[in-house]
Amino acid sequence: MPDSQRQNLKLNDRARQDALDKVSGEGPFAGDITLPGMLEARLLRSPHAHARIVAIDTTRAEAVEGVHLIATGRDLGLLKRTTYGNWVHDQPVICTDRVRFEGDVVAAVVAVDEVTAFRAMELIHVSYQLLPPVMDIREARSDRAPEIFDRKHPNIPMKLGRNTRTANEPAKNVLFSYDFEDGDIDAVEARAAHVFTDRFHFSRIGHFYMEPWICIAQQLTDRIELWSCNQDPFVLRQDLSEMFGLPEGHFRVRTAYIGGGFGGKSYCKHEPLAVLLAMLANAPVRLLMTLDESMLTLSQHDGDLVLTTSVDAEGRLLSRRTEIDLNGGAYADASAQVGARAAYRSSGPYRWQAYHAHSRVIRTTTIPAGSYRGMGGTQASFASESQIDMIARRIGMDPVAFRRLNLIPPGEPFKVGDSNVDADFAEGLDRVVSDLQHTAVPPGGPFASGKGFAIGLKDGGSFGRLGKATVKVTTDGRVLVLCGAIEIGQGATTVISGLVADVLKVPREWVRYAAIDTDVTPFDQGTHASCATTLTGNAVWRAAQKLRAEILDLAAGELDCDAADLDLHEWKVTGAGHRLDLEQLVRKKFGRFGFELSADGFVQYPKEPDAPFGARHLYWMPHWVGVSLRVDTETGEILVHDLVTGVDAGHTLHGGGVRGQDEGGSLVALAQTLFEEITYDEEDALAVPTPLDYRVARASDLPDRYRSFILEQGMGPGPMGAKGVGEAGMLGVAAAVANAIHDATGVRMTDLPFTPQKVLAALDAARETNGD
Amino acid sequence: MTELITLKFKLNGVGRAVAVEPQTMLADLLREQLGQTDVRVSCDQGVCGVCTVLVDGTPTTACLTPAFLVADREVTTVKGLSGNATGLTDVQQAFIACSAFQCGYCTPGMVLSATALLAEDPSPDRQAIRDWLDANICRCTGYQTIIEAIELVAAQRRTRSLAAAAEAEAAD
Repeated sequence: MPDSQRQNLKLNDRARQDALDKVSGEGPFAGDITLPGMLEARLLRSPHAHARIVAIDTTRAEAVEGVHLIATGRDLGLLKRTTYGNWVHDQPVICTDRVRFEGDVVAAVVAVDEVTAFRAMELIHVSYQLLPPVMDIREARSDRAPEIFDRKHPNIPMKLGRNTRTANEPAKNVLFSYDFEDGDIDAVEARAAHVFTDRFHFSRIGHFYMEPWICIAQQLTDRIELWSCNQDPFVLRQDLSEMFGLPEGHFRVRTAYIGGGFGGKSYCKHEPLAVLLAMLANAPVRLLMTLDESMLTLSQHDGDLVLTTSVDAEGRLLSRRTEIDLNGGAYADASAQVGARAAYRSSGPYRWQAYHAHSRVIRTTTIPAGSYRGMGGTQASFASESQIDMIARRIGMDPVAFRRLNLIPPGEPFKVGDSNVDADFAEGLDRVVSDLQHTAVPPGGPFASGKGFAIGLKDGGSFGRLGKATVKVTTDGRVLVLCGAIEIGQGATTVISGLVADVLKVPREWVRYAAIDTDVTPFDQGTHASCATTLTGNAVWRAAQKLRAEILDLAAGELDCDAADLDLHEWKVTGAGHRLDLEQLVRKKFGRFGFELSADGFVQYPKEPDAPFGARHLYWMPHWVGVSLRVDTETGEILVHDLVTGVDAGHTLHGGGVRGQDEGGSLVALAQTLFEEITYDEEDALAVPTPLDYRVARASDLPDRYRSFILEQGMGPGPMGAKGVGEAGMLGVAAAVANAIHDATGVRMTDLPFTPQKVLAALDAARETNGD
Repeated sequence: MTELITLKFKLNGVGRAVAVEPQTMLADLLREQLGQTDVRVSCDQGVCGVCTVLVDGTPTTACLTPAFLVADREVTTVKGLSGNATGLTDVQQAFIACSAFQCGYCTPGMVLSATALLAEDPSPDRQAIRDWLDANICRCTGYQTIIEAIELVAAQRRTRSLAAAAEAEAAD
């Protein structure tokens, strides 16, 4: 959209930076980009959960007019490393001898257009020898289960911090294990008044981002160019470099707007395959998936969580043991991080005298699981906040009072060696309790009503993260901000451009967020863990302040006065009796073609071996939830009457953005709580293979009433006390609903989702026990 | 070779003459053949509403509509909404004011769907808006800001028409 048009629209502070590009349909998204001579690549996928590839016959398919090439596992010669994955490199670019889930990539067709590619694909004949599928984590650990891999893989050991051990591929069908042991838990349990053990099952959902997965790759004379929907362009560049044995600079990764990701577009996916096909075809190749296929690319982790929690006679939490098994699916992806984080985060926002957590990621022959908004915190919060409620009721305490008694206050470390809690958990809890509107239904009818609360929690990541940014101003006073935070919908460009405008005191529409291109964008570790506001935000903040100082210094030199006496507003330097226009100043100093003044900003959070994760967590991200609902005791249906959710933004940089992150995440979480789920049928086939079968939340799934709130507790590490909120919405909803169902019916739901069938079965079981 | 069908239709107010295969879908005609990239495709199964366009004002799922069906009809995409190159409609402005989008991938379809709703029912209540929006999936926003944007437009139009009526009365 032309600059003049942007100005004409007079964007107010509430308008997002990307508003015009999005409401006008302009984009671009990667799929809007067409390269001259671009070919279409489509993937042939395994129809079986587990099988040996006996033979692949591509002869007939290759004869189809318009087919350029068909690549199979035999065509990986250009790759130095043919597998990828985070920590453990186990996922093949194309399967060579074996398929490990329904959807595993068996061949790729490159053709002049999509129709030809699909036609050719139907003519590829693959002979499979079926192997026993391993569909869930309990089965995978049983003696009769086959090994999903025959050998260990090249891997990078995950080195964390104090009291922590990790292992890659430690046992049969175990991808990863994590152990954290803090305190003498046996001694603490021995003096407890009560010890409770409870089991929970967390379900699995798909990312279901609306922009299907895409990558366009092209071989230029001496390098490779990509248009990608990946939220980690620099991480991807590094993977490509290692896998092809070519320098990182050989690859130029460009990122347009990304149409949602929720974790599903992080880390390396099928980009190496797109690059390989472009190299083989010596032409631009677009690998574009359908939404069905995008669902096969990655999922969330389902899992079993067992919590053993001790409490004293006064209702003080003493210790917790957490045992978690997560379903990692067929390949590693980012499962190791999720496993470690789910375990560490299962202590919730509470003080403990001892906390032990063990988790394993188990392989199955199902969709690979990996990063999903919440990153283990969702699983942890569901189990932890359910059990807290259960314990309160068992010891005769009000669940809210029980929580208040045990919360970590702001300023106290989350755990020994970790960062201080930078949120007031009690304030948000009080807020949901006071905001929730709960009307009990009169007894006698089929409905039972109840209310429930929860405080979901996750951290804002660790691993010694960094941020880097450049801010430059053209001769005519327009600003370009360069940094690697990807606009995936979360509003990164709005927050970051707004910060620059505020520091430089220019209107927001003068600031443009530069396109992402690994050739020119400052290095970035990936748009992860709700960290754009804090990490990139701080780098940008510093860069803008440095630039402002440099401009004032320049003016002070010209005016022969002290820079401290000068002010800068819309590029007018004033003070000490002077008034100077930046453009005049620049032309005078640098000549008639002017100059681009610029400054860099950098921020790095150090590694600390004494911290349990090897670095202190950047910040703490609570999700306060209150739910009022009715249970139809005749049908098992849950009717959410009122939903209240809240987050701590620290300091709000864009209210609409913060609200949208909370509400959007919360509705996905509510769908997961009530109905959304990836399942396999009795024949081990995907039961929800297409968007037609897979139910996600629509507008009419909104509760009767839903209000969200933003607290600004001001303790975040970002500019002016800001912090990230992007994943919060996933965290607290499921437990709050479970707690409300318990409040209504006395029945405890521990197995997500709470479908009418499951609720009714639980109600029936309770009625039977009670002798009704 | 399949015989091509030639058809004429109006795309965003401009007459177009094209030749398509019988099985060509409207989304492919608009996006691939005519370069209308503001028509985006997601599920390609008529489930998500991302590819919604207006055919003679009626919201239509372009991925499931054979292209030949738009012969002699008027197709409007989000880029054709305002009728001029620089302006935005009140619906688009309300989407901006309410931050009624995040990733923006569903937004063109959502804006068109909202536009059609307000043309059919100038004062939809919240339930009517929810029911109507069931044709469009948004995975980012949680829908409430979209509903508020539609309510904002309805309220603005009511205020404007009341003001116009008052002016007309005053002129009498």
